[in-house]
Amino acid sequence: MAEYDVTFIEREEREARFLIRGVTPAFANGIRRAMIADVPTFSIDTVRVIENSSVMFDEQIGLRLGLVPLTTPLGDFDIGDEVTLALDVEGPGTAYSGDLVANDEMVEAADTDIPIIELKEDQRLELEADAVLETGRDHAKHQGGVAVSYRHLQGVENVGERDEFADDESHIIRGVIEDDGDLIPTEDFGNDLTNRYPDTEVKVEDVPGAFVFHVETDGSFDVDTLVTEATATLRSRAEALTDAVAL
Amino acid sequence: MELRVIEKGDTSLSIEVAGEDHTFMNVLKGALLETDGVAAATYDMNPEQSGGQTDPILTIKTEDNTDALDALETGAQRVVEKADALETAYNTAA
Amino acid sequence: MMIPVRCFTCGTVIAGHWEEFKERAREGDEDPEVVLDELGVERHCCRRMLVSHEDLVDVVAPYQ
Repeated sequence: MAEYDVTFIEREEREARFLIRGVTPAFANGIRRAMIADVPTFSIDTVRVIENSSVMFDEQIGLRLGLVPLTTPLGDFDIGDEVTLALDVEGPGTAYSGDLVANDEMVEAADTDIPIIELKEDQRLELEADAVLETGRDHAKHQGGVAVSYRHLQGVENVGERDEFADDESHIIRGVIEDDGDLIPTEDFGNDLTNRYPDTEVKVEDVPGAFVFHVETDGSFDVDTLVTEATATLRSRAEALTDAVAL
Repeated sequence: MELRVIEKGDTSLSIEVAGEDHTFMNVLKGALLETDGVAAATYDMNPEQSGGQTDPILTIKTEDNTDALDALETGAQRVVEKADALETAYNTAA
Repeated sequence: MMIPVRCFTCGTVIAGHWEEFKERAREGDEDPEVVLDELGVERHCCRRMLVSHEDLVDVVAPYQ
């Protein structure tokens, strides 16, 4: 029955753009929402401050630590699992996310260069923190996907020559266009159709069932993991429903 | 996932799906509408602030020869198939 | 005070780019637009986080 076709337009570890053909809007939105709110990541949730003589309050430091993305090997952990991290930095100097040391080597700061707090002479920050595996539904700091979105693939069709005396107006569009089977990101022609089709009358129409997804992760895992895990959460819920109905 | 049947006829079903939100309910509704024998499918959900019923209530109406509960099972199965298909397609491209 | 860890609007981690941005565009004389492009800070919500930031640690330090 359901036959999908995926084509990558851009593909990096933490950012990707891909086209899915054959999906219904309901399903496309389901995957998007699942990527944002249902794929869990590790994030610091409790902080035990041993010494904080910096210029920031403990709570402010706590907030900053919570926002640091931690690498999350899904599959090795369940929701609710905790990992303890420690931080001990003495001034002068800056405490970075990379100074966090975890008791589990699989979990570490995804970016090591995030400044937590700048410490002056004789200032010191020493603390212990518990990171929890939770979903984005629980708190936005647990969102693995950042700026996850989709838009329709736009089909561009040449419908003849432009009127000789027509106004010289630009025709701005964003996203990805399809011209005769070719997929072209609009950035390639400055987002202006008149650059690509000068003196031509073009018709732009959404291609039904074709969605271009833009997926970025905060570094907790790669894009592939995010997409696969999001699909898996939808599947597991459908399976749970099947089981519940069968009873 | 906890289900609570609110109303059940031969060709109609009203059921509360505890703990779910738009993410899954809309996908399920979409899948149900594509399922053979389903005449109508919808769900209703209230916001947290409403203070009342906040879990979604799924309502299905089916054609004469289809049992509403069977249709729900087929619909759920269809979501599983969609998820499998997407994962296969994604991994093929990746 | 310190550069926010993430962009307020979209949630991208931007704090890691601050030190390079500060060195090149604030203390140096490079064009901020070029620096941001090179850092890969693309969206204007993330760009304003760096452009509008001011370090205050040195200002409040004496009152500690």
